[in-house]
Amino acid sequence: MLAEIVTPELFASAVRLATPIALAAVGASICERSGVTNIAMEGLMLVAAFAGVAVTLLFGNIWVGVFAAVVASVVFASLHAWSSINLRSDQIISATAVNILALGITGFLMETVFGHPGTTDPVKTIPPIYTVPADAGPVWTWIGTVFFSYTPLVYVGMFSAVFLTWALYRTRWGLRLRALGEHPRAADTVGVNVLRGRWFAVLISGAMAGLAGANLTLEQVGSFTENMTNGRGFIALAANIFGRWTPGGAYLASLLFGFADALQLKLQLFADTINIPSQFFLMLPYVLTVIVLAGVVGKAVAPAAVGKPYKEKG
Amino acid sequence: MSEIRKGTPAEELDSERRFALEQQRVQRAIAIATPFISVVIAMLVGSLVILASGQSPAEAYSAMIGGAFGGWRQLGETLLRATPLIFTGLAVSYGFRAGLFNIGAEGQLFLGGLAAAFVGLQVGGLPPLISLPVIIFASFLAGAAWAFIPALMKAKIGAHEVITTMMFSYIGKYLVSYLITGPLRAEGSIPQTTELPIVSQLPRISDVLPFVGQNRAHIGIVLGIIAALIVWWVLKYTVMGYEARAVGFNPAAAETAGISVASTTIKSLCISGGLAGLAGAVEVMGVHYRLFDQFSSGFGFTGIAVALLAKNNPFGVILAAILFGSLSAGAGTMQLEAGVSQKVITIIQGTIIFLVGAEMIVTWAVGRVRARKGV
Repeated sequence: MLAEIVTPELFASAVRLATPIALAAVGASICERSGVTNIAMEGLMLVAAFAGVAVTLLFGNIWVGVFAAVVASVVFASLHAWSSINLRSDQIISATAVNILALGITGFLMETVFGHPGTTDPVKTIPPIYTVPADAGPVWTWIGTVFFSYTPLVYVGMFSAVFLTWALYRTRWGLRLRALGEHPRAADTVGVNVLRGRWFAVLISGAMAGLAGANLTLEQVGSFTENMTNGRGFIALAANIFGRWTPGGAYLASLLFGFADALQLKLQLFADTINIPSQFFLMLPYVLTVIVLAGVVGKAVAPAAVGKPYKEKG
Repeated sequence: MSEIRKGTPAEELDSERRFALEQQRVQRAIAIATPFISVVIAMLVGSLVILASGQSPAEAYSAMIGGAFGGWRQLGETLLRATPLIFTGLAVSYGFRAGLFNIGAEGQLFLGGLAAAFVGLQVGGLPPLISLPVIIFASFLAGAAWAFIPALMKAKIGAHEVITTMMFSYIGKYLVSYLITGPLRAEGSIPQTTELPIVSQLPRISDVLPFVGQNRAHIGIVLGIIAALIVWWVLKYTVMGYEARAVGFNPAAAETAGISVASTTIKSLCISGGLAGLAGAVEVMGVHYRLFDQFSSGFGFTGIAVALLAKNNPFGVILAAILFGSLSAGAGTMQLEAGVSQKVITIIQGTIIFLVGAEMIVTWAVGRVRARKGV
């Protein structure tokens, strides 16, 4: 049974399932590093997932759909940015409002545009960049499947984790961003525009959540179902914490969740032999999130000023 | 305040004091008015959404009002839906008072419903005066238990309760789904428990007051009001409530004053979970008389909107719950008669949370209007 479970496909499926979480987690790490918590990732992904499918169906071009997903998510993220940065409202509450608005608006448009609740019409998903030929030898089957068999946004996720880690620690922008999350008053004193810096970070997290939503519907599922993000936005926040608020760490932590998800899906195929009800498999990602948080939180230190509104002196 | 001051120092002082008092009065008025203004603006946003979808807001809202208040039956439906919202609203607001955001009330509600169904099926034969309190107490314990691990994680290692209670919410739903498809499943094609015996069911209001006619409202609404009174009393007059408020207000100061922040956090989140569990109990005991996996229509999440709109005041929770109950009761009629998707309710809810959360919007808008009028 082990040989049937541990296949190259298991690892590839782990990376694929990790990608929506990872894209969001990488975005969340940038956002939180600037001092703004963003528990709206869930809602942003949902809006993006819907916009991606709806616009693809409308224009017949899936890349326009990806673009629309990012735009929709950024628009909703700016709502959170405006409320939490300019109006200095509680960041958790303003993000909760965005989450609920996202649920309402996607559900409303679903019924108004498609005429029924539930699931949209299907779109043809973006194909992987490479498919391993069936007659490939075992070595190439492993390497080809585990490294080259993905859709484009999966690679965007990997690239963004590397690029943003570099940007956060090796550029002036990154240094300033980290200062905003640790000691905004000090950053302000030396001339960094706190509000603008935080706005930019929230918009980046919005764009990343947009890519996450696009990946979910346009590369994986091929249609939109109401509330289909199913807690992934919250899991992404846990991944960000587990990854100690760094884009690279957040990405790697997401792989863990992706692997758990891939494993539970695989094990469900053997549910008859191992005789465990499917609900327990479905619980696994959520249980793992709790365990991971229980294991690491005490040791991981959040940015000092995260969640605190900043008031410019003036 | 840019005009040149004239008059004696005493007069100046007096006018300054009056100005400060006036400012304070305005602030307080704004604080009280914010929820009402928020609801009005949110309804306007809702009507824009309805307009944008090519429907008539007037028609939609009048159908909604008719569906929520048009007669005894409709009024009963409003109260029916307000009942669980009072409990989840109290749950979320109790958490807020202690500085905790119990976003996972939905999961605790599921566990409360599970306990009500499970215990409710065991107590057949007991007099209702014993069976009903026993079931309700069990539901409270179940909801509290479901909040216990997130509470412990918050108190001991600082794991954010927003993530942990949310995760427990999913776990709880899958647990209920497993139990009703497996061990607790009744005979039949639908995965659900058997119907509760009559001693485990909450009486309907129409049983007590026959003149209300065909009406699904049950005495859970009375229990909700009693719960609100108890929560108000606990917060205002007990040491536990005082400690919860102190920790919510300023944990560092509370700790310095000798209050254990950790144990207050655990107690408060568990009480919050218990209150959410009661929402599950009234749904199972008063509405469905059994447990199945769609028995809550997001009452836990709407509870967040209720608590915020009520500004965490227990009596405000009752009013806010009735407001959201009426929206939910009227939504079906609106969809049926005006052809507008019920989901507009969720948009209105989200907008209300946004506006109440961003209190400065109202302050800012009022300031603008006053400046223009030159008040």
